[in-house]
Amino acid sequence: MAEPVLSLRGLDIRFNSDGHRSRVVNGIGFDLMAGQTLGLVGESGCGKSVTSLAIMRLLASPPAEIAAGEVIFEKRDLLKLSERDMRELRGGRIGMIFQEPMTSLNPVYTCGAQIIESLQRHSGLTGRPARERAIELLELVRLPSPEKRVDDYPHQLSGGQRQRVMIALALANDPAVLIADEPTTALDVTIQSQILDLLRDLQERTGTAVLMITHDLGVVAETCQAVVIMYAGTVVERGRVESIFGDPQHPYTIGLMAAVPRMDTRRGRLAAIPGSVPPPWAQVPGCRFAARCPLADDRCRSEPPGLREIAPGHEIACWKAPIEGMSEMETHS
Amino acid sequence: MTVTETHGGGTPEPENAAPAARRAWWRSLLADRAAAPAMLLLMAIVLAALFAPLIAPHDPNANSRAIMQPPVWSERGTAEYLLGTDSQGRDILSRALYGTRLTLLIGLVAIGIGGVIGSTLGLLSAMYRRIDPWIMRINDMMLSFPAILLGLALVAVAGPGVLPVIVALGIASIPDCARIARSIGIGVMGQEYIEAGRAVGLSDWAIFRRYLLRNSISSIMIFLSLRFGQIILIGAALSFLGLGARPPTSELGMMAAQGRDTLMFAPHIATIPSVVIFVIVLCANITGDALRDVLDPRLQT
Repeated sequence: MAEPVLSLRGLDIRFNSDGHRSRVVNGIGFDLMAGQTLGLVGESGCGKSVTSLAIMRLLASPPAEIAAGEVIFEKRDLLKLSERDMRELRGGRIGMIFQEPMTSLNPVYTCGAQIIESLQRHSGLTGRPARERAIELLELVRLPSPEKRVDDYPHQLSGGQRQRVMIALALANDPAVLIADEPTTALDVTIQSQILDLLRDLQERTGTAVLMITHDLGVVAETCQAVVIMYAGTVVERGRVESIFGDPQHPYTIGLMAAVPRMDTRRGRLAAIPGSVPPPWAQVPGCRFAARCPLADDRCRSEPPGLREIAPGHEIACWKAPIEGMSEMETHS
Repeated sequence: MTVTETHGGGTPEPENAAPAARRAWWRSLLADRAAAPAMLLLMAIVLAALFAPLIAPHDPNANSRAIMQPPVWSERGTAEYLLGTDSQGRDILSRALYGTRLTLLIGLVAIGIGGVIGSTLGLLSAMYRRIDPWIMRINDMMLSFPAILLGLALVAVAGPGVLPVIVALGIASIPDCARIARSIGIGVMGQEYIEAGRAVGLSDWAIFRRYLLRNSISSIMIFLSLRFGQIILIGAALSFLGLGARPPTSELGMMAAQGRDTLMFAPHIATIPSVVIFVIVLCANITGDALRDVLDPRLQT
């Protein structure tokens, strides 16, 4: 349990386009433990998906450039692997599922053919055994009548069913790590909870570590054991899910928590964090959240805070921490 | 394709309507009032050309004493020569059948050459953005070179004949095909399933063949069917200029050219092959248009 299967260390990702040199991800790092689900949380454009694509080495370069850092997976730095070795890992030891199940499957092949393709590629299964394994996988993701569905084309399936096929595809070769890039965002709420249940259940059964990329704190609360909160390309807070949800410390995390609509307080407008994320090409000397932070002072605006541990296993990048939760935020705003 | 329901598979769902709609594409093609007759006519012409040796009443190259005989519907026409004879007494119907055969063959082979090379280049530059500017600049250079000029140049080098014309037409259609294939390919490359395919560990070759090509091919074929009419027209023009098939062989453009001198006394000699060219091109264009409307969902708004 204590062994990390995937570790990111000081990952810097830049995009070079039209003379702009944007620092999209700045020195982020985290450990994904075996058998654990880690939530990578942040709003749109904070670098979550770019990070996941960087792990898979699927970023198009140019314009993207991984300027620094390491991605350690099973004692190897993925950033130094050859393209050929990397292809062995993709879909083999590392599976990935995407946000848009409607367009993530190749429309001209049957679901079964796509799973068999991956089995053939990585496990060397062909013919009957491959087909049987494909049906078994579709059964594993609880697709109804899998022996019929295996010959269906993607357009014959609904969004939720396609996402199940995607999950089956990602798990086809017993990966050690499953990267789920907003797997439920494009689905409606009832399907979302079914897919999350399925992912949680599959994780318990297979012991695959899951990197859950999401902007939905509800998803994190339901599935994750550990959380990394990202803001504008940096990690602002990370720790176990109980400590982050129970005692959020970074003003951004506190703002996020406050912005979650609640059933019990119906009155008034939804809470929001004022302002917007600085564009990735902006040169921010201090804390990148300072412009939106009610607690920010001169030091916050001039010196970037590093991650430091404020409680066992709970790290935060903020000069003001520890903060006494929301009450202090509210008195300042 | 529309998916009307989204329940995630807890319960089995009824067959949805999408596959039925896909299967009936030819049905909606037949329902198109312009396309159906055009397509049937084109098919009839293709079949007639294909079976020319069986259908043709005379040897297309055999001279007879009946010179410049008008077609059957005019006063001096005979049933012996349904469409009359040319200035050497050859049966125009037979020559038109064989001529159509050659014209269609030139068009098909040329579009085949241009289509294969052009779409390969186009799809490659859609996939590898690094080589894209290079391929496209060379393409622009080729695009600025008219097919007729290219044909003239090739014939000047290789001498007149069917082969130089086919090569010229093939080369001339490469840049257009490359351009269209590239834009279709870029659309496909932007789809999430390409990334998903890479995430499964597929090689570039597999992505190209099984993802990019397979998803672009129908749109490319539709473009080629539209382009086919133009190719035939340019091919006939080259033959008309005397660059294509050599005399005893019949080719529609060349037949029209041979009738030019006698246009005043026997207009049918030039008119009949021209009308055949016109009908073929018109039918090919209408059919191509209708195919695009029916088969290419990308262009529907």
